[in-house]
Amino acid sequence: MKKYTNNLAAGIISLLKGMGVTLKNFFSPATTFQYPTQKLPMSPRFRGLVDLDPQKCVICYQCVKICPTGCLSIKHKELAEGKKALEVFKYKMEFCCFCGFCEQICPKGAIYMNKIYEVATYDHEQLYINLLNPKKYDEWANPTVK
Amino acid sequence: MFTLLNLITMLVVGAMILGFIAGSSMFLIWGERKVSARIQSRLGPMRVGWQGLLQSVADAIKLLLKEDIMPTGVDKWVWQLAPFFAAVPSVMAFVVIPFGKNLIVKDLNVGILYITSITSICVLGIFMAGWSSNNKYSLLGGIRSAAQIISYEVPLILSIITVVMFTGSLSMQKIVEEQSKYWFILRPNLAVAFLIYMISALAEVNRTPFDIPEAESELVAGYHTEYSGIRFAMFFVAEYTNLFIISAVAATLFLGGWQGPVLPPVLWFLLKTYGIVFILMWVRWSFPRVRVDQLMSFTWKVLTPIAFLNLIISGWILVR
Repeated sequence: MKKYTNNLAAGIISLLKGMGVTLKNFFSPATTFQYPTQKLPMSPRFRGLVDLDPQKCVICYQCVKICPTGCLSIKHKELAEGKKALEVFKYKMEFCCFCGFCEQICPKGAIYMNKIYEVATYDHEQLYINLLNPKKYDEWANPTVK
Repeated sequence: MFTLLNLITMLVVGAMILGFIAGSSMFLIWGERKVSARIQSRLGPMRVGWQGLLQSVADAIKLLLKEDIMPTGVDKWVWQLAPFFAAVPSVMAFVVIPFGKNLIVKDLNVGILYITSITSICVLGIFMAGWSSNNKYSLLGGIRSAAQIISYEVPLILSIITVVMFTGSLSMQKIVEEQSKYWFILRPNLAVAFLIYMISALAEVNRTPFDIPEAESELVAGYHTEYSGIRFAMFFVAEYTNLFIISAVAATLFLGGWQGPVLPPVLWFLLKTYGIVFILMWVRWSFPRVRVDQLMSFTWKVLTPIAFLNLIISGWILVR
């Protein structure tokens, strides 16, 4: 009988404890967020789309050589006094595996990976990105549903 | 005497009740989703209207517009009638629920007896749905529901009888008026009756922790597995109307009904009722489901003896 009443009391206390836990949760803030309208900042080490700062580029071709999928291609022209100038810097996002080797190998930090993660598109042509175009990612950063 | 004026009054009152039921069950469905979300640290519906308040309206429109699918092999007549058997009794129970001093459709002198007998018909709809669906999960759900509701009816009615012994009347308004000095829940033996009533009522409306008739992990959706569209919506509305009714009856029998200071009576009544509904939702999202054998042994070995003992003690207090 004593065991029975002890069991009963323990059962009731555990039920009340359980309800206490859920009530505490009820008043605590939600851990989820409203994704398309509310976007969280990405972590510093996040690897998004490949981006380029053309002013810093020394045209050493390291990124093209290291790229395992061959998604980067460069063309340059020789200027006077042994200087070089970029003519074409293309990025085929379709093939990119987002490994970040180009960012690591770049001696001047010209090529880097930005924080854009919404990379779905309705147009195949959009996957071939001209990295020399300063407005190349305007549409990616603020996507609109077509 | 039956006149045109009578007919119009009846129609208007009926429309008002149906409107209240539609609004209340939609609000309760939204509330259930919000409460469950908050308890699980989520946000719940947020997109349709302020805080997702119109989500239930959108869902209702969707369910009304859906195709009415009847699976092959069902018992046609029984299958089609089942949702009505589930929904209509819960609407009928609104006749004797006292929303205010004069805000009651008809103060029957057998009010509480009427409610318990009418709401018991709901199990027939559930059993019909389970039986006619030609599906083992539905059948199991229906059988479990019948066994559960019949078992829990006993302690439920015993706890109601305890209140009736103190008031000496079955009329809902009389029961409320008896509580003008103090709420019945403040008497120790009626507080026990309140606990027994709440547990049995939870089982009566098939809610967690007693939701074995529609246990998702075992029975898909139980008796309403084969239903979709408007017929499913009727089961859903019946479920939430029943939830409102058991809370309203609890508020009337134990918490003084519409009586209270300052605020208007209707507001007091709705406040108490929705407060109890919140507690039921809180219980639902806190506890796991009990097993079938645990459920049955709990009602017959624990709840019913305690209810009988409580009844005897109350009788002794009254004749002392």
